Formats: sequence, structure tokens, C-alpha cells
Amino acid sequence: MRDGDREDLELHRRLSSGDRGAFDELYRRYAGSAYGLAYRVTGQQILAQDVVHDAFMALWRTPEAYDPARGSFRAFFLALVHHRAVDLVRRESRLRARSERAANLEPVVGEDHADAIAEESFLGVQRKEVREALAGLPPEQRQVLEMAYFGGKTQVQIAEELGIPLGTVKTRTFAAMRKLRAMLEETG
Amino acid sequence: MIDRHAETQELLAGYALQSLSGGDAAEADRLLAEHVPGCSECRMMLDAFQAVAGELALDAEPVTPPDPLLPRMHREMDPRGRRGIRWTAGRLVAAAASVVLVVGVGGMAFAQLGDRKASHVPTADVQELADFALHHPTQQQALGGNAQEISARGVQELYVYGRTVPFPAPGLVYRLWAVSGGHATHLRDFLPYPDGTVLVRLAIDPSTFDHLLVTVEPAGSEPSEPGDPAWPETG
Repeated sequence: MRDGDREDLELHRRLSSGDRGAFDELYRRYAGSAYGLAYRVTGQQILAQDVVHDAFMALWRTPEAYDPARGSFRAFFLALVHHRAVDLVRRESRLRARSERAANLEPVVGEDHADAIAEESFLGVQRKEVREALAGLPPEQRQVLEMAYFGGKTQVQIAEELGIPLGTVKTRTFAAMRKLRAMLEETG
Repeated sequence: MIDRHAETQELLAGYALQSLSGGDAAEADRLLAEHVPGCSECRMMLDAFQAVAGELALDAEPVTPPDPLLPRMHREMDPRGRRGIRWTAGRLVAAAASVVLVVGVGGMAFAQLGDRKASHVPTADVQELADFALHHPTQQQALGGNAQEISARGVQELYVYGRTVPFPAPGLVYRLWAVSGGHATHLRDFLPYPDGTVLVRLAIDPSTFDHLLVTVEPAGSEPSEPGDPAWPETG
């Protein structure tokens, strides 16, 4: 287990006993990644704020939802953020009109990245590994993965959009997830 | 059996990415309730895929949230609110004692095993309630008959949930009304599931009425005016 993961576990333990300092430290560690993810999925800053707010408050109110035996805190929490973001996208049809910038998956221009840079020192290694693993996927597998994960699209929607059979989307998704798992386990 | 595992795991990959819909989503729910809890291989694969789904977030460029966000959360972190939500989580676990409950929490599912033969509550419905309770600061209001109204201020969604709710006499149903300013609006008729569980989801903002009322009425009757309250402590 990496030092960062070990520290997360300790922070989660303190959070579970109501330690606000632990909450603030977890916010400092993950707010930038959570907000970046939420913005990329929803394409709207106001909704991204709601997503991050809801995820952190859910963590504060039900810390027992995280089971350390089932994986890292980081994966749990960012999956929680993703879940909430996709849920919002699907519930609010108006979100479909997302900005071209978000659709192109570019970072927000003009935002203050000072804290994000501080966060990078903690998550930088993991971020690099994830990006390398994604880059190692065949383009067709990466495409369906990104449409599902960051685009919030269902496999049926992806099949329609790409004009390929649903079974092909499923096969590519499964293959991509298995490869990512193997690559991330190898580096982790 | 190997093919079955491959099919299951293909669905689990889509589940972890939240990209299933329709029949695939229903099949995944079924597998999560019936197969995965007892299959170490599929359980391990689900955990692995969910971990990948969490790590994928790091591909997004980090962005600093607006300054007011943390102070806003600090204001909402009062101990009373925290206890209230813990109660809600406890109720969800209590519900899980009689059903196989698979609650997706940000893709990190947890499962509680119990005697699922005792209940007929659809897993997807329980999952909706769990998701609602996890994502909103909920309030509870007793309705009588062991039933509660679970709502969140400003959210156009509320649930009526109860366990061991008594059955009305044969030929009768429970009728749910929203009462405001002395006027009652019919919302829905319902009966408990065979084990006495009630779980009704309504797309209604709780701030638009004064309180809910449950009456007992002849099945199929015209819902013009509320009849007798179903339970003495109601309304």
C-alpha cells in the first residue's frame, strides 16, 4: 500500500469519528480531482459544484459507506463523484447541451490551479499511471470507455452513435476494463 | 459455467462505468443480488472494475472548486444533521435485513444478505431510496402504521417507506393524499408488499403541501375526497 493510501485510511478513520480536520484534509486532497471530474462529465460549473458538495457531504454523513477491504479510499470517493455526476447528466436533459470545450475534454481555462498543483504532488504519480494506461488502450476501446465514463452515455447510446452493434460496445468495454485493471495493478 | 462468468463480468464492467440501461441494467441488478454475493470470482472482478472506475477519474484535469464551497459544507456539518443521516443509513441497513440489498454508492456497491424470500421489494426501488438518502440531507416524518415519509427540502422527490405495515381489510387499499390548506390531492393508492414492506416513490416537492395523509378506501373507488385515516395517529 502506498503512503498516500495509508494516510487516506487514517483520515477516513478520523472522519468516521467526526473529526472535521480530517474532512478538511480529504477535501484538500480530493476537491480538485472531484471538481475536475464533475465538470468534465456535466460540462457546467454550477452542477459540478453541486456534485462535489453532495459527494463530500455524503462522505461526512455516511463514512461507513466506504469499506477499506474493498479498495482504496481514492477509488471509492472518486467513483462516488462520478456516480453523482452521471446521475445528474442523465436526469437533466438540459445538460445535453454541453459546451464544446467540455465535449473536447479540455481543462477549464482561466481557473486558479494553485491548489490543484498542490494536489498534484500527492496524486501526480497515480494520475500519470492512469493516463499512461489509457494511452495504452487500442483507440476503439478507449473511445467507448471515454464515451461511457466521461460522456455519461449508456452502451446502447454509444452503439447508436458509433453505428456499431451493442455486443461490440460490450466487448470493447470489457476488454478495456480488463486491460486497465491489469495495467494499473502492475504499476500499483 | 465459465461462459456464464464471462457474460456476468462483461455486464459488471458496464455496471462499474454506469453505462448499462434497460434489460442489461435489470440483468446486472439480478446478478448482483443473486449471483455475485456468492461468487468470489465475480465479486473480486466487480471490486477490481469499480477500483478502475474510481482511478479513471484522475484522467480529468484537476480544477480548484470555487472558494465558498468548503465554508458552505462546514455550515451543514452540524452534529444534529449528521445524526439524522446516520439514522437514515441505519434504516437502509435495517431494510437490508430482510432483502438482498445491493446499493450502488458511487459504483462501490455494498451488499447485505438476508432472507430475501421474505420480501418482494424490487432491488432497483431500494437502490433508488438508498441513492436518495445518500445524496440529500433527508428529513423523516412518521405517517403512522410503521410508515415514514422521507424527503429532502427543495428536492422534487419523496418516499413513503415502512416495514411491518399492517394490511388493510380485503377489498380495501391505502390511499395517499397531499393535504394543503384543507384541500387534499390524491397521489396514489398502494398496498404493502407481502412481507409488510411499503416503498412508494413520488415525484413531488415536499414544500408544495402541508402534510401527507393516508386513508383506507375501497379498491378501485373514485378518489374524490379522503375517507377515514388508515391509522389512528395519521393526519
